[in-house]
Amino acid sequence: MTKKLSRRDFFKITAGAAATTGLKAAIGRNILEPFVRAPENELPGQATWYASTCRQCPAGCGIIVRVINGRAKKIEGNPLHPLNRGKLCARGQAGLQELYNPDRLRNAVRQSGGRGSRQFEPLYWPEGIDLLAEKINSLSSPDRLAFLGGLIPDHLYHLTARLLEALGAPPPVIFDLHSALEGRNTAVKLSQTFFGEAELPVYDLAHASVILSFGANFLETWMSPVAQSRAYGLMRQGPFGGRGLLVHFEPRLSGTAASADEWIPVRPGTEGYVALGIGRLIVEERLGHVGSHRDNALLYQNVDVREMAAASEIPVEMLRRLAIAFADADRAVAVPGGYLAGQRNGLASMMAVQALNMLVAQIGRVGGVFLSDPGPTASLRMRSQVDTFDRMLDLIERMQAGKVDLLLVNGANPIFELPAAAGFTEAIQRVPFVVSFNPFVDETSVWSDLILPDHSYLEASGYQVPMPGSDRPVVSSQQPVVRPLYDTRSTADVLLELAARLGGLAAESLPWQDDVSFLQETATELHGSSLSAYDSETRAGFWALWRQYGGWWSEKEIRREPDMIGFVPQPLRVLEPEFEGDPQDYPYYLYIYPSITLSDGRGANLPWLQETADPMTTARWGTWVELNPEVARSLGVGDNDVVRVVSPYGELEASAVIYPGIRPDVVAIPVGQGHGDYGRFAERRGSNPLALVAPVTDPESGALAWGATRVRIEPTGKKQELARLESLDGAGRETLD
Amino acid sequence: MAQDEKLSIENNPRWALAVDLDRCTGCQACVVACHAENNVPVAGERQAAYGRWMHWIIIQRYWEGEYPNVKARFMPVMCQQCSEAPCEPVCPVFATYHNPEGLNAQIYNRCIGTRFCGTACPYKVRTFNWFRPEFPEPLAEQFNPDVTVRSRGVIEKCTFCIQRIRRVEIEARAQGRSPQDGEIQPACVQTCPPGALVFGDLNDPNSQVSQMARSHRAFRLLDELGTDPGVIYLKGGETNV
Repeated sequence: MTKKLSRRDFFKITAGAAATTGLKAAIGRNILEPFVRAPENELPGQATWYASTCRQCPAGCGIIVRVINGRAKKIEGNPLHPLNRGKLCARGQAGLQELYNPDRLRNAVRQSGGRGSRQFEPLYWPEGIDLLAEKINSLSSPDRLAFLGGLIPDHLYHLTARLLEALGAPPPVIFDLHSALEGRNTAVKLSQTFFGEAELPVYDLAHASVILSFGANFLETWMSPVAQSRAYGLMRQGPFGGRGLLVHFEPRLSGTAASADEWIPVRPGTEGYVALGIGRLIVEERLGHVGSHRDNALLYQNVDVREMAAASEIPVEMLRRLAIAFADADRAVAVPGGYLAGQRNGLASMMAVQALNMLVAQIGRVGGVFLSDPGPTASLRMRSQVDTFDRMLDLIERMQAGKVDLLLVNGANPIFELPAAAGFTEAIQRVPFVVSFNPFVDETSVWSDLILPDHSYLEASGYQVPMPGSDRPVVSSQQPVVRPLYDTRSTADVLLELAARLGGLAAESLPWQDDVSFLQETATELHGSSLSAYDSETRAGFWALWRQYGGWWSEKEIRREPDMIGFVPQPLRVLEPEFEGDPQDYPYYLYIYPSITLSDGRGANLPWLQETADPMTTARWGTWVELNPEVARSLGVGDNDVVRVVSPYGELEASAVIYPGIRPDVVAIPVGQGHGDYGRFAERRGSNPLALVAPVTDPESGALAWGATRVRIEPTGKKQELARLESLDGAGRETLD
Repeated sequence: MAQDEKLSIENNPRWALAVDLDRCTGCQACVVACHAENNVPVAGERQAAYGRWMHWIIIQRYWEGEYPNVKARFMPVMCQQCSEAPCEPVCPVFATYHNPEGLNAQIYNRCIGTRFCGTACPYKVRTFNWFRPEFPEPLAEQFNPDVTVRSRGVIEKCTFCIQRIRRVEIEARAQGRSPQDGEIQPACVQTCPPGALVFGDLNDPNSQVSQMARSHRAFRLLDELGTDPGVIYLKGGETNV
């Protein structure tokens, strides 16, 4: 069987080999390929890039992952994806360390020494699923089953909701701290009030010439920070002319405030007053170029500008200056942020801000407020809406009362993420059987009987409809970029298998063999859309392109003007902010904020993120308490002095950071540290400020009012050096002059 | 030297990085991207507190003024790739040398750890491996195979992602062309969400980086030292109401 290979044949073969590896056959260059083929068509030393979706926050940015010899090496933004256009944030870049984390669970486990013992023994997967099926079958009533989800992708939500419905169980409760801190649920309610639908709007920052940001940390963690940062860059030095004006209202100088032209430290809870004052001035003094404001006069009939100015501690003159700038601008936009939603007057404040956009007729206009167009993606839009804290409290109450016999937890870590005073830790111990699907042993998994670990997002399939969306219809798709490292299983697969075992209605409503067949069926519904950025003749071809592109989106920009027909103008309400804790005993407002690196704490197990400095304080690996220099002086506290922060609900100790950018009546602590479990990089490090937070809500929205607690500061006389990047040699601050 | 010239594709590119401070938001995406691309070790809390951090790029933050009229300014600082680099002549073993494309290169297996270069560097961007870097298994799986993992006792610093420069150059050479402007993107430039970082050839007058270098906002860090850095900063502005 020896055949002589001619020179011509040889070149044909090598050119063919080059084509199959995706390389363009280059002139004067051939690739010699060994006869032995590595698995998955891997060529030694050749990188393959796979498109997928980032799961580090709810934004749903597109990523591409560089894979060499079956190992993921680098995550980058997907240049084609309309949301992030090739860009990615620090957390997205660090996703590799979730995949290759040394503390990941490597197989299903049972807690052998009883819950909370942290003694785990390996469990054979079929046995684990049997056990779960048995627990479901033996429930006396299906409403004794509860499912608690956190940041779960849309396809998994879809399957979970179907399964629970088929079983007759209550729908899943979705709650996570990140979403609570960005006010996601209240923002949805705001959209419902103004636009009559539960879709988060896109604020067109790139084209805006004046942006008033009310506690919206859109350059850090709020909503879709990569897309918004990109827009910010264009607003500053982009092709649209001019250099926009950004004014930021927040009690603390955040990273976003630092990038603003003007930071206005407004009294906590009165951000809405500022918006009302500005609005009233625009209407009263007929500012801007919109013409008659007669229709809007009704909105501001209860507003007194002087009162607003006095309560928010912003002079009327400053309000007038901002009102003129806002109303006179060609393209102005006001952004209601997460800090507003964290107050007890949250929804009212956010309405006051959104009303400003209406006042200057910027709803549906360039540089204003848009809704993303769903296009043909409607069938994929059965997705998780974040629940309110009220619903979470209901669940806790049911658990306390012994009305829950089986609790399933996926992607949520309520013991870490809820205010300690909400009592979840006590409640979970009253549930007879708890199953967690979390891939790490976190604080909540410690209280579960079984852990059936999910894949990391780089090993699993799925999809996500980004919300807020982009300038066009878009769905991000997720695909495995490497083979699963360990004996973990995609939770979607586990649910499908569970449904098959349970039989009956459950099996009927989840008829798919595995998650990929479900995804294939769902995704290919988009096949044949005339809007599509790519085209294929067959559904199979579409499925391949869907994974290759990392999703589906429209080729052309389609913006949707919000429909205001259903909006009935009513006088905007002036609601007084309320705080827990007597001002005499607790003189400072507590401001907890999500860390740009650790987010709400879910990034704390990734060493890159721990090592990366907080942009404002340059501190890392710990928790700190930010104090105004005057306050620190009066307390006799300096940098690195340990202080005790006491609220009516709890206390913690941490090193002080003398922070020039904070109101004297506010104390700020970053969220993210203070994990008791969650792997070697996260454990026993810093403190969790949720221990201080009062479990109160904004009664109108039901959202957690995480900004409504007062605290006092007690010096302890101890000193604990923070690992800061900045040297403190220059009297605690480095300056340019 | 003649051989070096043959290796380089262009006759004489001068690789340069423009940093638009008006766009930079201090978000730290570049810092983590650099760790991932260049196998930069994590020093850990204790060593970080001693100032023995290992980042190749850091975001410096400067305060201006007092509350309430206080401002914070961000400044990403990485190796400035100087033409007249103070780090180069002090190295006794020629581990630090100037490559034909204008980069200050560091040859790790020549380095004997005198830290003279780190001392001479006015920008303080050279970091020293005080300890053997630790990557608990399986974190080592993420190593970029294009970049050496440094051992204890050597100095390391930003290379402008020379492996990414080479990858594009080799590909372009195979296609019989020169790299296009914007085709080469170091990891920090690639990820920067607000688009504050731009990389290119300073010797090409039409490249974006050359145009930015001619901006009235352009300045170099510690220009008075005469180091002729390859990093060009564009100062931020302020819009007044």
